[in-house]
Amino acid sequence: MFKRLLTPLGFVLSLLCGLSFNAYAEQTATPYQFPLTNAFEATIAGTPSALRPALPDDADIKQHDYSLRLRPEREFTLPSNFWPVKTFRYRLAQQSGPAPLIFIIAGTGAHYSSSTMEYLKKLFYGAGFHVAQISSPTAYDFMVGASPYATPGYSPQDAGDLYAVMQAIKKQQHRLAVTAWHMTGYSLGGLQAAFVSHLDEQEQVFNFKRVLLLNPPVNLYTSVHNLNRLAQTQVVDVNDNRTFYQLMMDKLTRYFNSTGHFDFNEAVLFDVQNSPQKLSDNELAMLIGSAFRFAAADINFTSDLINRRGIITPAQQRINDGTNLTPFFKRALLCDFECYIQEQLLPFWQVHFKQQQLATTGPSATDLNSLIQASSLYALADYLSASKKIGVMHNADDIILGSGDLGFLQQHFAERLIVYPYGGHLGNLNYRDNAADILEFFHD
Amino acid sequence: MTKTSSLRYYWAASLLLLLLTNKSYAEQTDTDGFKNPLQSLEFNPHLGQHEFERATLEALHISDPLEQWNRRVYHFNYRFDQWVFLPIVNGYTKVTPHFVRTGVSNFFSNLGEIPTLINSTLQLKGQRSMETTARILFNTTFGLAGVWDPATKMGLTKNNEDFGQTLGYYGVPHGPYLMLPLLGPSNARDTGGIVVDYTLDFSVNFLNVAKESERHPEIFALKIVDQRYITKLRYGQLNSPFEYEKIRYAYTKARELKIAE
Repeated sequence: MFKRLLTPLGFVLSLLCGLSFNAYAEQTATPYQFPLTNAFEATIAGTPSALRPALPDDADIKQHDYSLRLRPEREFTLPSNFWPVKTFRYRLAQQSGPAPLIFIIAGTGAHYSSSTMEYLKKLFYGAGFHVAQISSPTAYDFMVGASPYATPGYSPQDAGDLYAVMQAIKKQQHRLAVTAWHMTGYSLGGLQAAFVSHLDEQEQVFNFKRVLLLNPPVNLYTSVHNLNRLAQTQVVDVNDNRTFYQLMMDKLTRYFNSTGHFDFNEAVLFDVQNSPQKLSDNELAMLIGSAFRFAAADINFTSDLINRRGIITPAQQRINDGTNLTPFFKRALLCDFECYIQEQLLPFWQVHFKQQQLATTGPSATDLNSLIQASSLYALADYLSASKKIGVMHNADDIILGSGDLGFLQQHFAERLIVYPYGGHLGNLNYRDNAADILEFFHD
Repeated sequence: MTKTSSLRYYWAASLLLLLLTNKSYAEQTDTDGFKNPLQSLEFNPHLGQHEFERATLEALHISDPLEQWNRRVYHFNYRFDQWVFLPIVNGYTKVTPHFVRTGVSNFFSNLGEIPTLINSTLQLKGQRSMETTARILFNTTFGLAGVWDPATKMGLTKNNEDFGQTLGYYGVPHGPYLMLPLLGPSNARDTGGIVVDYTLDFSVNFLNVAKESERHPEIFALKIVDQRYITKLRYGQLNSPFEYEKIRYAYTKARELKIAE
């Protein structure tokens, strides 16, 4: 009896061992040595500078910021303190001769000149590409200067906005000798790149040769929910009168006191994590979650004001250069991403896109579910399986993923998916192995 | 009969095992390799989930009675930066080679060590005063009036102390926030500090530069261009409609850290 039970057990065990061993052997042909195995540390600190790839110097890159007048009506309808973003700006780095061009789409709330964008620019420029950097459709400047509805989150519409911007760039840079068109995007920009690529199959303006999605959300709502959760971790004792920021300040003060030097650079976090002032996972998560809450506040305020919805800013409120915006900032801060979806995105979607969605999904799904379905990678499942030009890179410990998301990617991208064991959200993007893999994907 | 029963055992056992492994996996890694990093976090119970809101709203409380004026100055500075300052700085970087710009920065930075020395002494920071004295000596002599910076290569790190920090060190509160035309974020205490440091600079007249700038305003102009060249801040780089609030918070906290250290 015992033996009979043990034999199959042994059999299954060895089978499982064999299977997992196989999977292991496949994944780590050369061992992946990214040093930060903590997802939260990796997300915040990125790659230590010694392990980054060699990149061209800014002084050796021929680059310029260009502006486009895409929403001229807003020059009159929006308050004067929006003046810096009323024309839409992007950055283009050009090679001296004919070359392929790659569009890079920024992540949630990010500007075209954010550090991740600058890193990717240098990486691709060094490999011989013209590079066009575009702010995220969720960024303040894009919403004001480029987006007709300024209510980001519905991926097909965001992709349409991006596509219009890309065409305007192509028109403005018509003298540039472009041999082929490519595209990439990180985080939310990765998800949007997939939708832009899908749109391009119908419109055929660019016929993108290769499209790479870097750490994209699979289910938009899962990512949004995870990021909201991060700002709800336990960071201060109930008995502690200090707020989370005061706690962080105290830690930094003690840290700088012990080093005897105030020097705030990117190496500080590595050093702090090796000091007695080390931040816990909960605190790191809270920092990441807070950054996204600030991005959510910007979106809430900007979308509401442009569309005069009166949720954050009273519809009749007059605003000029001297107006105190802090009360609206406070109101916008109280509304997280899920709240933005409920209060602004969903009602907007119901007015503009619900009918057209009903034709495809049928009336059974709730509105929120239809919106999420249509905005997530699920909506493109067939296209992603069939189109060999699209690849994806992700991390097994990425904080914006949920259960089953990696499985979805494996099923639809198969050999066009690379999953790294560590890196958190984008922390290993500037690790030299990842840089080599990114360039390899675009290599002919 | 034995065969079917053993088969049944086999299935039951493997099912059990799979369930078990799945369960233990759920706390570590999913079958598709997903590690679910959020599982290691502790979350606040539902009612206590407002730490972000509590902390952020509290952080927005910074004394700013002149806000209307400050915001207008912020927009003025932003425009001036885009239309005058940055084009000049770009022209400066185009017409001068890198080593010249570094030399200029070093030269003015060496002059700036004088207020640092005085303020370190006023705060009774002995080691910092000695370091700064050594830096001034080495850089002014071996570094040819400060154009080179051999002191840093020798391991003497540069410190920055101004009179605003000295006041803060002795407990003077920062007072109302001020956005200064062209100079950028400040507050009542630090603005007073700037005036004192400027007067000190003039009365010490180190290397005769302060006096000479009176007759040759181009020295002063070069100093300002260099100052803008080495300052990393770009208006609009936060890409947020609430940049004013964020700069106000960051400036106030950075000063607190500098005073504490």
